[in-house]
Amino acid sequence: MLDYATQRRIELFLLEEARLLDSGEFEEWLKLYEPQGIYWMPSQPGQTDPLNVASIMYEDHAILSIRVQRLLEARALVLTPMPRTTHLVSNIEAKEADGGEFTADAAFICVEHQGERQRVYSGRHAYQLTPHDDSFRIRLKRVALMNCDGVHSPMAIPL
Amino acid sequence: MEQPVPLPTPDDIKSLVRPDHVHRRAYADPAVFALEQERIFSKLWIYVAHESQLKKPGDFVRTRLASYEVLVTRHSDGNIYVLQNRCPHRGARICMVDRGNSKVFSCPYHAWSFRPDGSLASVPHRKSYPENFSFDDPNNHMQRVGRVALYRGFVFATLNDSPEPLLDHLGPMTEVIDNLVDRAPDGEVEIADSSFTLEYRGNWKLHLENAADIFHPSFVHSSSVAPARRAPTNASILDQDQTRLMLAANGLGYEEWEGIQLNGYAGGHVYMNNIYNQGVLVSQTADPVAERYRAALAARHGAEKTAQILGMNRFNNIIYPNLVVNAQYQQMRVTIPVSVDRTLVRINCFRLKGAPDEMFHRAVRFLSTLGSPASMIFSDDVEMLERCQQGLARDVGPWIDFSRGVGQESRGADGQLSGAASEMPMRVQFAAWVNYLTAEAA
Repeated sequence: MLDYATQRRIELFLLEEARLLDSGEFEEWLKLYEPQGIYWMPSQPGQTDPLNVASIMYEDHAILSIRVQRLLEARALVLTPMPRTTHLVSNIEAKEADGGEFTADAAFICVEHQGERQRVYSGRHAYQLTPHDDSFRIRLKRVALMNCDGVHSPMAIPL
Repeated sequence: MEQPVPLPTPDDIKSLVRPDHVHRRAYADPAVFALEQERIFSKLWIYVAHESQLKKPGDFVRTRLASYEVLVTRHSDGNIYVLQNRCPHRGARICMVDRGNSKVFSCPYHAWSFRPDGSLASVPHRKSYPENFSFDDPNNHMQRVGRVALYRGFVFATLNDSPEPLLDHLGPMTEVIDNLVDRAPDGEVEIADSSFTLEYRGNWKLHLENAADIFHPSFVHSSSVAPARRAPTNASILDQDQTRLMLAANGLGYEEWEGIQLNGYAGGHVYMNNIYNQGVLVSQTADPVAERYRAALAARHGAEKTAQILGMNRFNNIIYPNLVVNAQYQQMRVTIPVSVDRTLVRINCFRLKGAPDEMFHRAVRFLSTLGSPASMIFSDDVEMLERCQQGLARDVGPWIDFSRGVGQESRGADGQLSGAASEMPMRVQFAAWVNYLTAEAA
């Protein structure tokens, strides 16, 4: 079991990520990722293969940075009006992994409000974290959306 | 809930379409939608499955055909059947999953069991049923849908009891299915297990029009084009620059528009030439995967035919009324109308059998970039389709304009040609639409 201080630092790191997404600070959000960090949202429950099975998102830093620039473009149609979100992260269980790294599992709920409609997303996050200064960087974030294989409307803000 | 809607008359339908304008009711009137379900989605050949999903007896997929939910099955006699997903006993839906394998379909209510050809296999407590209750009576079977026909692995069905031959309906669009299958070094394609289904709150025709619309990307997708153009090349460790190139390629200008050619056919089919020809799925000499792939293809077809196959540079081949095939990128989209203002789009990709695995990985990547719910391209399209529907739902106007390039088309034996800036594809689609909706009365 992790010592309380490390567990708490990981929790605060996850909360920081949620806050940056909610406040629209997407460039700051991307800085939480390793230069080779990956954001992965599978399309199938229990999916382990991002190459032979399509993913809702499987993007590294370079593609995410295009996505972030797009989120900051005033012209993106799907972002007018800009959605407002509340990302809730809870049930955080952190563990020590090999090589001084950490893993963290968490449950999430995200409520997204845009114009006349409101949407709710939920599921589980699985992080691989690398220590960085007195905080962490994300090597991999896997977002297991509860209805990943369902019928979807466009998604704009990362979960 | 279900109210009988008086269907529009042929004259009514004809009055909605002018040579270069269409009345908003074509998109917003539930009575028009009901007629479309009857005369288009119940009468034409509709794609329902790919044969690679139905390899073994008992394999099935669940999909929609017109307003019905159907199962497409492979029976032990080797044939493919399309069955209404409904128990004839009390009317319950039987199958609740999208695909699988099952020797029998068993209704969970009173356990009537059916074979994959729809025939009744067993009922519990046979002796309590009347003496004249017959297992052979089709009324006691899962109801079969009219006709099923295949073209090179693509399974089409129709509720029409006397449809025109499938080949007549597909017309010149067989070329794109041929081209997709010919791209496989083993001469066969398999549909990927994973796909996306997106829903938009708009009429089904909006998606077909958008797929044939080369004018909109520069405007609708500008928020993706600009960041992609600013981004460094080959920065991604995942996708050989595929995503960035696709996003950037939506920035079509006058020069690109001039080079693109649109083709429209009397049946409502449309495709475009030379729109997008970049990224790792198309020829690039420096790419070792592509070289291995081309070598495998040449081993089957020879160099000349291989060059011909890979040289077919067509985008968004739209087979009326609802199938969009992109052979070059191993992609397919199916438009499924749900109601006058609600549509599903199912987006698939294919594996080219005999091609290097990386070719499939790239097709999967293409699928995600273009068709995922989080796509930086299609999400903006969907937003635009919904805004169109919101405007068309209101009784103002009421005519919308398809006049761009009118009179500038060149007409061939079986179709029309135009430049990219033309709205010819929509005019061709609506001319076919009028023909289909008014056919029986003609």
